[in-house]
Amino acid sequence: MKGPLIETLARHGVTRRTFVKYCATLASMMALPPAAGRAMAEAMAAAPAASKRPSVIWLPFQECTGCTESITRSHSPTLEGLIFDVISLDYQETLMAAAGHQAEEALHAAMAANDGKYLLIVDGSIPLGLDGAYSCIAGKSNLETLKEVAKGAAAIVAMGSCAAYGGLPKANPNPTGAVSVADIIKDKPIINIPGCPPIPAVITGVLAHYLTFGSLPELDKHSRPKAFYGETIHDRCYRRPFYDQGKFAKTFDDEGARKGWCLFELGCKGPVTYNACATVKWNGGVSWPVESGHGCLGCSEPDFWDAGGFYKALSMPADPLKLAAKAAVVGAAAGVAVSFVNRGKKSAAKSAHEKTTLADLEK
Amino acid sequence: MPLDAIPVVIAPSGLRAGELSGNAPPLLREIAEMVRRLLASGETSAIDLQALPLTPADLEWLREQLGEGEIAVTLNADGESSLDETACPGVWWITHHNPMGAVVSAFIEVAFVPEVVKAHPEDVVIGLEHLELLISDLS
Ligand code: SF4
Ligand code: SF4
Repeated sequence: MKGPLIETLARHGVTRRTFVKYCATLASMMALPPAAGRAMAEAMAAAPAASKRPSVIWLPFQECTGCTESITRSHSPTLEGLIFDVISLDYQETLMAAAGHQAEEALHAAMAANDGKYLLIVDGSIPLGLDGAYSCIAGKSNLETLKEVAKGAAAIVAMGSCAAYGGLPKANPNPTGAVSVADIIKDKPIINIPGCPPIPAVITGVLAHYLTFGSLPELDKHSRPKAFYGETIHDRCYRRPFYDQGKFAKTFDDEGARKGWCLFELGCKGPVTYNACATVKWNGGVSWPVESGHGCLGCSEPDFWDAGGFYKALSMPADPLKLAAKAAVVGAAAGVAVSFVNRGKKSAAKSAHEKTTLADLEK
Repeated sequence: MPLDAIPVVIAPSGLRAGELSGNAPPLLREIAEMVRRLLASGETSAIDLQALPLTPADLEWLREQLGEGEIAVTLNADGESSLDETACPGVWWITHHNPMGAVVSAFIEVAFVPEVVKAHPEDVVIGLEHLELLISDLS
C-alpha cells in the first residue's frame, strides 16, 4: 500500500498503521465485510495524482455552514479530512482559496472537464419564492445553479437535513419557499445524508464508499445509506433498558434524570429517528446528546423542525415500523401505555394515516 | 468541588449483557474454517465482532474458549489497539480504541501475523535514513 496519500498523511504525522486502522473501523461502521477495509485503504492510498482524482463539486445553498463545520472539525481532522486528499474538490466556497470570478471559473472548468463524471455535493435547501431571489450566487439563483450543475453530475449527495428535506429554512411558514434537492432533480441518483449536521464519519464513510467501489451504498426509503440510518436511536440507546422497565426522567433535574433513566417523557424522539448517534457518537466518540442528558431532537428525519416541540413526548412508544402499518390500533394501545405523558392534550396519530410522521406522533 | 459531590449515578449497561445469546459457539466453526484456509492457501481473513449480535457475555465466552497465546502486541496509532494472539496460533483478537479509550472496532483476524503489525518497506526505508543520520552524527 503506497501512494501520494500515504505520503501526505505521513507529513501530517499520520502513520500507515493509523490509516489502516481507520479504514478497518470505517468499514466496520458501514457494516461492510472486514476485507472491504483493506480494499478501502488500498484504493484511497493509491489515489492518483491531483489531475486524475475524481472531481467533486460542492454547492452551498440556503445553509448555515454547519455541515461543512461538522466534516472539517471532526476529532481527527487529518483522518476524516483525508478524503480531501483523495478527491479533487474543485469548488467549495468556504474552503477554496479562489473567490469571485476565479471561483466561478473553477466551477465551470471542472464541469466541462469532468462532464457526466463529477460527484455533486449540495448543502442547504433551495428557495423557490420570488423566483429564487432569496439566495443567489454569482448573479444566479440557487435553483438555476443546481439545475445547471446537476446536469453533468454522475450522482448527487444531499448533505444535511436542509439539502435532504428542506430543513430549518423550510420550517413553517417557509418564508423563502425552501425545497430539497430531490424536489427539483428527478433524473439523477441522489443520496441523502441528513442530520443537523450529519455525523462526520457518516459523510466520509459515504464518500469513501463511492470512491472505492464507484457506487452508492444501499439506501433506505428516504434515500439514506442503510449502513448508518438502518436503525433508530432508540434501538441502540444505552438507556433503553430503563425505557423497557418504564423508568422515565420527568424533569431534567429529578432523581430519574440523575440516575440516567430514559428521556422519553422529556421529548426524546429516539424511537422514530434513524441515525447513528447512539453507536458512532459525536466529537470523536466522546458522547452524544442522550448520553449528555438531552433527548434526541430527531434531526435526521423529515419535518423534525415542525414536529410540534422538542420537549413534548411522542404520543406513542417505540416501534415505528409497527406504527406505520397500524397507526390507529397501536395508537390506541400506546395511549394507555403512556397515558401519564402529556395526558389529554391530544389524541394519538390520526386513524388510517399510513405514513406516520413526527408531527402525527406529537401530542 | 470534588466530582463525587455531583449526584450522578452511572447507568448500568444493557440488562441482558450478562446473558449468552447462543451466537458465539458457531463462530468457533467459522474460525476453524478460516484457519484451514490459512494453512491451505495462506489466505488471511477476519470477522468483524461488532457486526454480529453478540452480548458482552458472548464475547467473554468466546475469548475464554480461544484462550491466551504467547504474544500480545500494543499498537499506538490514533488511540491504543491491542492485537493478542489466542491459544490457537494464527488466531488473533484485535481491539481498536480511539484516543479517548473507547472501542471503535474489534476483529478476530486469522493470519500468521496481523497485517498491520508488519513494517512496510517504505517505512523501513525512512527508518534506515534516520539510522544513517544518527551514524553520521557519531563522527
Ligand atoms: S426514548 Fe430516547 S432516551 Fe429513552 S431509550 Fe429511547 S432513545 Fe433512549
Ligand atoms: S441524537 Fe437525534 S437530534 Fe441529536 S444529533 Fe442524533 S439524531 Fe440528531
